[in-house]
Amino acid sequence: VLWRFVQGRKSSRKAVLLLGLCDAGKTLLFARLLSGRYRDTQTSITDSSAVYRPSQDKSTNVTLIDLPGHESLRLQFLERFKAAARAIVFVVDSVAFQREVKDVAEFLYQVLVDSTVLRNAPALLIACNKQDVTMAKSAKLIQQQLEKELNTLRVTRSAAPTSLDGSATGGPAQLGKKGKDFDFSQLPMKVEFVECSARGSKGEEGEADLEGLEKWLVKVA
Amino acid sequence: ILTAPLPQERGGNNSFTHEALTLKYKLDNQFELVFVVGFQKILTLTYVDKLIDDVHKEFRDKYRNEFQQKGALGLLNGTFDFKDDFMRLLRDAEESSRVRAPTVMKTFEQSLKSQKTVKCMIETRGEKPKEKVKNKKNKGSKKDGTEAVAAPSKTSAGDKQLSAAGDKEELTKDEILQKNREEFFRRHMKAGEKSRSPKPDAQKEKGKKPRVWDLGNSNAKVLDYSNSATNGSAEACPVEEFDPDMALGDKNREPGRLYDLEYESDDEAEEEKVVQNPSKPSVKKGGLGGMFGMLKGLVGSKSLTREDMDPVLEKMKDHLIAKNVAAEIAVQLCESVAKKLEGKVMGTFTTVTSTVKQALQEALVQILQPQRRVDVLRDVMDAQRHRRPYVITFCGVNGVGKSTNLAKISFWLIENGFSVLIAACDTFRAGAVEQLRTHTRRLNALHPPESHGGRTMVQLYEKGYGKDAAGIAMEAISYARNQGFDVVLVDTAGRMQDNAPLMTALAKLIAVNAPDLVLFVGEALVGNEAVDQLVKFNKALADHSMAQTPRLIDGIVLTKFDTIDDKVGAAISMTYITSKPIVFVGTGQTYCDLRSLNAKAVVAALMKA
Repeated sequence: VLWRFVQGRKSSRKAVLLLGLCDAGKTLLFARLLSGRYRDTQTSITDSSAVYRPSQDKSTNVTLIDLPGHESLRLQFLERFKAAARAIVFVVDSVAFQREVKDVAEFLYQVLVDSTVLRNAPALLIACNKQDVTMAKSAKLIQQQLEKELNTLRVTRSAAPTSLDGSATGGPAQLGKKGKDFDFSQLPMKVEFVECSARGSKGEEGEADLEGLEKWLVKVA
Repeated sequence: ILTAPLPQERGGNNSFTHEALTLKYKLDNQFELVFVVGFQKILTLTYVDKLIDDVHKEFRDKYRNEFQQKGALGLLNGTFDFKDDFMRLLRDAEESSRVRAPTVMKTFEQSLKSQKTVKCMIETRGEKPKEKVKNKKNKGSKKDGTEAVAAPSKTSAGDKQLSAAGDKEELTKDEILQKNREEFFRRHMKAGEKSRSPKPDAQKEKGKKPRVWDLGNSNAKVLDYSNSATNGSAEACPVEEFDPDMALGDKNREPGRLYDLEYESDDEAEEEKVVQNPSKPSVKKGGLGGMFGMLKGLVGSKSLTREDMDPVLEKMKDHLIAKNVAAEIAVQLCESVAKKLEGKVMGTFTTVTSTVKQALQEALVQILQPQRRVDVLRDVMDAQRHRRPYVITFCGVNGVGKSTNLAKISFWLIENGFSVLIAACDTFRAGAVEQLRTHTRRLNALHPPESHGGRTMVQLYEKGYGKDAAGIAMEAISYARNQGFDVVLVDTAGRMQDNAPLMTALAKLIAVNAPDLVLFVGEALVGNEAVDQLVKFNKALADHSMAQTPRLIDGIVLTKFDTIDDKVGAAISMTYITSKPIVFVGTGQTYCDLRSLNAKAVVAALMKA
């Protein structure tokens, strides 16, 4: 009975969350992974979830959950689903990255310092989407920029005035090691960067360029 | 439309204007769909509401299976070929509105006439004639309802996404002709509600003397529409036994459906007493249906209707107002929550109260979450890199704590290693400059130049009293740039929002100097005034700015938070009005009393009983 109970608890984390800013391409990615077809999407205002069976490995399956990226909704949905997350796919718009780097980093920071996330340490994949556009930044560049930005955020967040009931806003959790510059390898979870394109290089009718993403999903499942 | 009203909990009002289009939308909470109809703002089309209702129904019925079985995959994979149906519905709706226009006049008169004849009998018969009148009206509106159902059912189809293009083409034809007809049409649709108002007038003419007693019993129902709670709470139970589909749409329809039961119990009640309490017969009926309703509510899935939620929402609204949330905001919030929950299927063993409370709590947390980043230090660092000072302006009405909180914020900035220049642009209030000078001296004593690499961390820039505030601010900023200060904090004089010349002066200061952050300082003790203050301040800033996109209030500083224990409603009012975040919270008069907002804690304090 105890064994069953423990097993039950473990397998309750079967979800893969799709997070990211607005217009990063989460819903399209979701649609592509599940159906292979291109759909016109609108800004999501609620979550969608479905079971995904990777095409390579038919036996395993994970539940993909697509959460809205809108600023006022994202934290609420994250609260709801973070306990069930086995892995997190953080979708980044590679084209608008230069402009949005601060917002991306802030959201990523919020996800990373969350106590539940730190405890469960789900695998993290940063998917640099929209690679079909010529101006897209490469995964390496995005990684460097994010590390720099998160480094700064660590300092500013911990220096922010303490919250009303005494709990610090930055949380007692310090991202990475104190003395050194922030690096993704300092996190307790596995972090990978992958390039992908939900739309596909041949326009709407063509296949999406999701190989790296799918391989990672198979690994995680 | 998806990014603005819905997430921000402004979903109470179901129309939204964006550039040249007006969008009316309807939420289906059971299947989580949004139906949107867009049309040109200059047109007023009354069949739109019905259109959207019927489209909603037809779409839902047609694709119900897909939704229920396949969930998200169904949505993705299903092809929703509704275009033909939609065009058909749209054409029918237009035709029906045209056809119905001449007949509208007759039915309106009919209902008026019938009311008049019945009215003279009202004093003697008590409840009975009222029921008759109500029934007549309901029949009238039901007739229209059935006609309309056939017509607008098409139009709901293609509206999962904005299909403004298709609508626009249809609507450009004979607008002028339709406009007049729609006026009548609309009046007829509202006839159900409005025709009740001529009733009490006529009654007053007839019997002035007996009026004094009658006012208590029979007219309470007619005159008092806001009190739908008494009607609703009792009717809620029997309604469940009927198809939940009938629950949406006019309220008129429901008394019509239940009429049979109500009528019988009215007879019994009538015989007993002269003075009738309108809620009494319904309570009696409620007793029977209530048992079944409650059981059904506990087990199995029940979809929420407006009537179920109304009493709970009333209570919640009063609770919020008691916690110092502005009255209009509380009303709008409850409306939006109601819209969001209507038709939603509740899980097992959840009561209506708990669902509504949960939804309200989520809505409140969402309002308090900042829309944009609230990290002042990060922005200051950016400005530092570009070698220009970061300018923060404080504005607000008299006596809210601008100067005190300015000192606290400068203390915080100095602690984090930024040098601050305080610009004394309050040239009116006696002692304002001296106050800031004292603060500067104290801060310098706390953080002497020796401990910060030889530079003075805080300095005061002032030009005495009676000068132009905008000019002083401009000079202060250029001085800061020359001397290499990181942050400039501009203190302005307190001013009432109604004082037009002072508001102009403030707007000029902000427009000319283009500060990086405009903070509105508001005290937590303020009640309904907060709404007025913020609206007028924003309006003044928008009106007097020359630029295309005027600088409005960017953030709020909530002060004197230690004086309220849990009546924290002002926070909600302010963020709701401006949708800007609360950047700082002031909790006292010493330098360390500066906090940031914790949305969950505030909402918890707000919802605590």
